[in-house]
Amino acid sequence: MTASELYYLFTLAVYAGVDGMACIGLNLQFGVAGLVNFGFIIFQAAGAYAAAVLSMPPANGGFQQYVLGLQLPFPLPWLGGAAAGGLLAVPIGLIVLRRLRTDYQAISLLVLSVIANLVITNARPFLNGAAGLSLVPPPLTGLVDTATVGYQWLYIVLTAFCLAIVLIAANRIVYSPYGRTLRAMREREPAAAALGKNLVRLKMEMFVLGGVIAGLSGAILVGFIGVWAPATWLYPETIVLFAALIVGGRGNNLGALLGALLVPVGFEEATRFIPEFGPPGFIPAMQWVAIGLLIIGFLWFRPRGLLPEPRRVFAEDPAGGGAARAEETPRPGARGIGSAGPSTPLLRADRVARRFEGLRAVDDVSLDVFPGRITGLIGPNGAGKSTLLAVLAGTLPVSAGRILMDGQEVTRLPAYRRARRGLVRTFQLSSEFAQLTVLENLLVAAPAHPGDSLLGALRGTPYWWADELRLVGRARELLARFRMSAAESEYAGNLSGGQKRLVEIMRALMLMPRVLLLDEPMAGVHPSIVGEIASFLETLRENGLAILMVEHELSMVERLCDPVIVMAQGQVIGRGSMSALRRQRTIVEAYLAG
Amino acid sequence: MSLYAAAAGFGLVSASVIAVAAVGFTMQFGITNLINLAYGGIMITAAFVAYGVNRAGFSIWTGLAVAAAGGAVASLALHRVLYAPFLRRGTSHIGMVIVSLAAALMLSNVLLALVGYDNVSYVVADEAAVTAGGLILTRVQVVVIGIAVAAMLAIHALLTFTRLGKAMRATATNPTLARNCGIPTGRIIDAVWLITGALCGAAGTVAAIDSASFGVANGSTYLIVILAAAVLGGAGQPYGAMLGAVLIGEITELSAAALSPQYKSVVAFAILVLVMILRPQGLLSKIGALGPAG
Repeated sequence: MTASELYYLFTLAVYAGVDGMACIGLNLQFGVAGLVNFGFIIFQAAGAYAAAVLSMPPANGGFQQYVLGLQLPFPLPWLGGAAAGGLLAVPIGLIVLRRLRTDYQAISLLVLSVIANLVITNARPFLNGAAGLSLVPPPLTGLVDTATVGYQWLYIVLTAFCLAIVLIAANRIVYSPYGRTLRAMREREPAAAALGKNLVRLKMEMFVLGGVIAGLSGAILVGFIGVWAPATWLYPETIVLFAALIVGGRGNNLGALLGALLVPVGFEEATRFIPEFGPPGFIPAMQWVAIGLLIIGFLWFRPRGLLPEPRRVFAEDPAGGGAARAEETPRPGARGIGSAGPSTPLLRADRVARRFEGLRAVDDVSLDVFPGRITGLIGPNGAGKSTLLAVLAGTLPVSAGRILMDGQEVTRLPAYRRARRGLVRTFQLSSEFAQLTVLENLLVAAPAHPGDSLLGALRGTPYWWADELRLVGRARELLARFRMSAAESEYAGNLSGGQKRLVEIMRALMLMPRVLLLDEPMAGVHPSIVGEIASFLETLRENGLAILMVEHELSMVERLCDPVIVMAQGQVIGRGSMSALRRQRTIVEAYLAG
Repeated sequence: MSLYAAAAGFGLVSASVIAVAAVGFTMQFGITNLINLAYGGIMITAAFVAYGVNRAGFSIWTGLAVAAAGGAVASLALHRVLYAPFLRRGTSHIGMVIVSLAAALMLSNVLLALVGYDNVSYVVADEAAVTAGGLILTRVQVVVIGIAVAAMLAIHALLTFTRLGKAMRATATNPTLARNCGIPTGRIIDAVWLITGALCGAAGTVAAIDSASFGVANGSTYLIVILAAAVLGGAGQPYGAMLGAVLIGEITELSAAALSPQYKSVVAFAILVLVMILRPQGLLSKIGALGPAG
């Protein structure tokens, strides 16, 4: 083997490590959390530039212009590169991730990637413009001879070490309760928010962590190749990483690694050996076409990639869990009723209104929801019942009025903070987390799980496993109660409409709510289960839970609900017991005429 | 001062070019609910089609017509061959954005393989300048403005007065309901791709006329300016895109006079960022870019 062949193999190994890290970082963002970061490459570039100017000598009017030039010793430039990627992610994330729709987020980041490249290219004094930085000293320059084969081996070992750390951290995240929450957010954001998940925080954490990983990968790359210029981080480089994830398998860190080996390393290197033919630039252009074809082909024929995200199956009876711990399991709804007695309302809406471009969907509605009672909410289609529920839970903001929970104003609180106070809703349309199993759908709702935070996840399985077992036991009790035990390891997306409704109710109960807002809980549910739900709701009522329930099945309303509130055209047109309401002509007409 | 007057004139031309492009883009998004990132690629492809026609000895205006037809056919084909099958499978919003990005990458690189990296220019019989109210424009620039105004009036008439336009608006608001009301939404969507594709092809050509020379790499620059105009006006809103085009066109040209022409798209981007922070739903929309609450 000649020296140049050997050097080529070393280069491939370092590239594999760098691309592997980048793909894992992108997998945390895109594969797990569902953030479509089309600007991923600029975080790698930030790390590379930072590492370069931290390790280079001061510019001092040499042939290149750049800032800093601190000549810091290894490993500070690498750490600085990682920090630069993470720091850059903070302002960008705050602008892009807080309010924008997912597709807007994607295109804003794409545009940002193009513009950032343009700015760096044109602003020479900052980072030497289009020519870029060269003669970046390799790590440990001056301490060891960097021109030896031994140094090449050392570099590979250092790269592999960083890759291992990134992989272990990423795996701890993906397979933790925190990773489960991220996947729930990816599947359905409003439902995750309704379960008390702080979406902005989750997104920011993954955005910054992905930025750190990207920055580290850039630092490692620039230390090896010694040059860094705008042409190395054009926006299509991000598309290559997306192609790698789609080929390898989104949501699976090993899939991300496999994709990195196959697409950026394998594919691009393999095509390098095709003899040049056609007009100049023909082969590179065809490479990009092939990358596009890979993305489209895989999305069509094998959308989940070569190594798909694994389905999580919990052991039949995990040691120490299940029946043994069942006694300490608090009953659903047994959080206590707080300061409110049965005669004071737990949830109060005070002249609440919600308008959509002139349409008064909810118009000046006041109501009280008491603990230990099921309040019914009925009315014709379009009366504003679901909108009212959304406003009470914080899914939609109010246009006017106040909402009080346990005497405290929650009108301006986002949905997740209301959920954490025990105000939990279900949705009229199925809102299961499709690519989570039924059991995971329940577990994701558990409040205050020690493994359901970034730091908790990074501390590893032992830190949260005991709580996980306890929660699995509680979730299994609920599943048994609703005769869903057999489906525990099915993906929720594959269930029937009625089963999805049950999953949603059980999920809400896992949160141990104090106020439960149910939107047509029995629609589409098998009749034999309807009775089961009804008796369960009665149990919850005895336990002191405050329930507000939208329902069209009047016999069920009659059996469970007192009082009943009738809405039509956004307004409350009557309230009282069902039997009393039946005697009022206006209400019967409004409902039937609706 | 005359520098700024000239810049304002150029801004008017830029605004015209951007308006044609941005209205097509935003109508695709508003009616088909798809962010077509291959739009810039089709624009530049159409510009090269016009270049071929122009090189064959025809006038650039003939080239413009051919490019518009080509843009229409290419856009419909892109929809039928690529987007529609994925949509029928229920591919998510974001999945479609990725598919369209892959399509954009493929399109521009096929074009690159065919025409190479060099910049080209049209042969335009550039006559004497026209002066009006302190603005100095060439005859060609006046025609470009005329084309844009005619296109905007045609779109306005289409959306307001024709059954097709009403059906398009109905499909944009609620496709399922529109279908249940007997509107053949499939054919309406096809018509949208044809019409917006023609705008896209024409926009590519006028953009190329407006710039001294052009190459394949211009496609992504176009896309950024169009996105800025569409988002500024309120994505999916044709009138918003017109407003956004005028603002972006004038602001970029005036800032180019004040700063440096290199930063045109940077200024466009700065506007985009400001809009996303301050009013993500755009000037003329109430929902637009906002995600679900919570």
